[in-house]
Amino acid sequence: MLNRRRSVPAAVLRFVVLLLGALLALVPFYYLIIGALQKRRDTGILGLLPLPRNLTLDNFAGVDGSINLIRSLLNSLIMTAGVVGLTLVFGLLAGYALAVLSFRGQGLVFALVLLVQAIPFQLLMIPLYVMVVRYFGLADSYFGMILPFAVNSVAVLIFRQYFRQIPPDVFDAARIDGAGEVRILISVAVPLVRPAILTAMLVTFIGPWNEFLWPFLVTKDASMQPLAVSLANFSQANSTFQANPMGAVLAGACVLAIPAVVLFVLFQRHFTSANLGSAVKG
Amino acid sequence: MRRVATAATATLAVLAVLALAGCGSGSSGGATATALTSGPIDIWYSTNKQEITWAGKVVKAWNDQHPDQKVTAQAIPAGKSSEDVIGASITAGNAPCLVFNTAPAAVPAFQKQGGLVNLSSTFDDAEKYITARSGAAADGFRSPDHGLYQVPWKTNPFMLYYNKDVFKKAGLDPAHPKLATYDDVLAAAKAIKDSGAADVAIYPPATADYTNVNFDFYPFYLANSGGTQLIKDGKATFTGEQGMQTLKFWQTLYANGYASAEAYSGDMWAGPFADGVAAMGVAGPWGKAQFDGKVKYGVVPIPTAAGKAADATSTFADSKNIGLFTACKNKLTAWEFTKFATNDQNDLALLETTGQFPTRTDVPELAAAFLGKNAFFEPFAAAVPRAVDVPNVDSLTERMQTFRDAWTSAVQSGKGDLPKTFGDAAGTIDGL
Amino acid sequence: MGSRALPAASRPGRRLQRLLGEHPLGLVLSTPYTAFVVAVLLVPFGFGVWMAFHDFFFTAPGVRVPHPFVGFDNFRRVIGDRAVRQAFGNLLLFLVINVPLTVVLALLLATGLNAVTRWKAFFRVAYYIPYVTASVATLAVWIFLFNSNGVVNKALGDLAPDPSWLANRGLIMPLIAVYVTWKNLGFSVLLYLAALQNVPAELHEAAEMDGAGRWQRFRAVTLPGVRPVTSLIVLLAIITTGQIFTEPYLLTGGGPRGASMTPALLMYQKGIQQGQPDIAAAIGMLLVAGVMILTLVSRRVTEGRR
Repeated sequence: MLNRRRSVPAAVLRFVVLLLGALLALVPFYYLIIGALQKRRDTGILGLLPLPRNLTLDNFAGVDGSINLIRSLLNSLIMTAGVVGLTLVFGLLAGYALAVLSFRGQGLVFALVLLVQAIPFQLLMIPLYVMVVRYFGLADSYFGMILPFAVNSVAVLIFRQYFRQIPPDVFDAARIDGAGEVRILISVAVPLVRPAILTAMLVTFIGPWNEFLWPFLVTKDASMQPLAVSLANFSQANSTFQANPMGAVLAGACVLAIPAVVLFVLFQRHFTSANLGSAVKG
Repeated sequence: MRRVATAATATLAVLAVLALAGCGSGSSGGATATALTSGPIDIWYSTNKQEITWAGKVVKAWNDQHPDQKVTAQAIPAGKSSEDVIGASITAGNAPCLVFNTAPAAVPAFQKQGGLVNLSSTFDDAEKYITARSGAAADGFRSPDHGLYQVPWKTNPFMLYYNKDVFKKAGLDPAHPKLATYDDVLAAAKAIKDSGAADVAIYPPATADYTNVNFDFYPFYLANSGGTQLIKDGKATFTGEQGMQTLKFWQTLYANGYASAEAYSGDMWAGPFADGVAAMGVAGPWGKAQFDGKVKYGVVPIPTAAGKAADATSTFADSKNIGLFTACKNKLTAWEFTKFATNDQNDLALLETTGQFPTRTDVPELAAAFLGKNAFFEPFAAAVPRAVDVPNVDSLTERMQTFRDAWTSAVQSGKGDLPKTFGDAAGTIDGL
Repeated sequence: MGSRALPAASRPGRRLQRLLGEHPLGLVLSTPYTAFVVAVLLVPFGFGVWMAFHDFFFTAPGVRVPHPFVGFDNFRRVIGDRAVRQAFGNLLLFLVINVPLTVVLALLLATGLNAVTRWKAFFRVAYYIPYVTASVATLAVWIFLFNSNGVVNKALGDLAPDPSWLANRGLIMPLIAVYVTWKNLGFSVLLYLAALQNVPAELHEAAEMDGAGRWQRFRAVTLPGVRPVTSLIVLLAIITTGQIFTEPYLLTGGGPRGASMTPALLMYQKGIQQGQPDIAAAIGMLLVAGVMILTLVSRRVTEGRR
């Protein structure tokens, strides 16, 4: 619509800026992959090039020989799915309540949301660990790993922000039509914030997926450890015995990063598909 | 908004009281254990491949003989945070029975938490067994109350590794390098830097973590001072003449760019030397497994200000010991297994499998055949009796952190008033 | 909290409404979250508050040690400690760099991305990749780029800083701030992008009809349209700043000379490595208070009119 009328130089400039940004974002990732494939570590500028003579898959084999990659990946998947599921349910309900409804204690709930985010995890870690392990008996269990991540206030804030962007008339119209609040939430509000659901998903899944310290504390049984934990242990303890230690560490980091990137590539188009504005008008 | 704040404060106050009540009603007993029992136990060991192999064999041999006292073994993460994890699991009450990799630096903290069993007072034969095996070294690990809360297990005396190819390129003698005194090292460092044979002369882990003291200052200070520990009789010792010499030496290394104060991208302990970035590196006998096939190296004793004979040079022991934790249900089995794992046969196997020395007085005799075949390990074996570890004093980690902070500010920066900075640090350390 | 106009509710509900607010359902909907927060975070937090006022350290189950009440002693020690003050100062420096950089760059890229028709998916993925990659990996690459013999210094030649980036007291915290901005930028871009797509095109067209230039349209239509997202991004930036831990933990251990020390890392050192959770808790309380105050201020500023 508007784009067609815009000038060519502006479009070129825009494209160049975007490309520059993309390059800055991608170079380190590219280096991660190259580093993982190097036979010998090359820290020079030439090391940035994929020299065929210096390429190998040995680093990946080395990691797989030290830790059970499949089992660790599965653990990561279960833990992450649990966190995302709980976060979405809690976040949608609380975000809707905070943004659309008005009730006593609303301010308190919102203050709580902010407080939760403001508390540094280092402060809670040991008391929480003692509770989870000593009193709840959740050591070496998926639920123990999931627990502290399930209260992700970022998701609540995202949902609250998106619900607030929906014009109030939409809800009022539904109310006049006689729909109950629960109905409104499920069949009116949730479909309208579909992009927010995906955003919240993509935002929350990455935390537990890459998290090291907490699952590390909770799991003593190696077969329960998620990939980030196994990899950290590997890179801190065993990697120096590999032919190319840094290569092995980067190979591990690749295994950790690739599922996340693939997932994102698969879902990224949904960020555009639901155009909230036109949905409201339609 | 004010109402919200008040409500939030009130909620927190209630919660605090609840938490307080919850703490008071903790379980009782445990610390004052009654009869010692036998039965299944679980243990943790270090995660490097060599030690996994060793532990696997030892555990299997034990389990074959003791089906009713099964040992379940598993690797602990040997990374940066393993002491932190053990500390947390002491509090939670799920620490294993034994950890075959307890860092002496962490023992005072574990003991304060009530996490470690006082072996001396718990097992009748503990004092006799430990002192017979480790000799005088055992006394170095005694806690302030004179009890032994750890079994001295293995010692990895630090030596100075140097890269033969780099030395050759820099015009230095690769077979018999002159590295006895601080001036020798500085001269070699200058030659290396001027020739561009390596990026830096030496590259110890550069981050401000307290444990890194053991990789730069401490081994050199022990060598220079004839084995004086960082803290003696409750007082910091590094402000003496020998300490100042070592501090000045390292400051010069950093000031001239012979050492790098930057974080290393990769394994910060063994990486710089293994990757050929640094011409020299401090490491224990385990360095062999990490450097073989990567660089050609030689080994010399840690240099001192005026130069000392190898057989008179103290060094850092980098010991790892065995801790028996109070959470253990079957302490008798744990103790019996400890003795089993440290008997002649298994100690020898430790050396042969991992290249690490059992902390015992008779290594030269016990391992005569192995040392005869592996000349590389001989100087390390000779250094074991002169290897010294960190002092066993209260608030050790905090004191080491204080030292480390002074180090990053006056030594790594290459400039700074050494007597003043470290005098202040010593004052803080003495006051803790 | 703005309440929304509603048709009158049924009579028997009136009483309940006066007691619980217009929509008592809100309480029900927020209960799962609240209950979870209380159980998992507030109880340990309350414990932390208690610790901050007592002489406390963690012990094994069954070990009894007196934990005397010490009033504000822990706080006095913490505030008197130069390292603590430096750590908080570092956070402020971080915030001053991170927030404007994030908002400006993310909005710039998102606006461009919203207008561009080709390679849209590629850009979106590219920007998000640093966010999904584990810090251990991305930090390794940054060290490679910024060490004294690294690509950046080689490109700068004589202009390279001395001491180099990672060992330079004046540059390490800005570098960490730029790194964190870089790593999290993709997330902010996506938030802005989603918000931009919700700004009705008609508003732009109407403004254009009125003869508004591109910059005027941006200021009059786009900026107000993405205001809630800006507010959210600033909020999240303040919150993440308070928790900066991984970067100095992996990169510097807080050095050189405490120049990259953060309260969260200090808490880890004191509370977990040095066995002084009471001191760590006092630092934590100060941090929480600081973050809360900044959050409220930023909410006033960015959500102004509401």
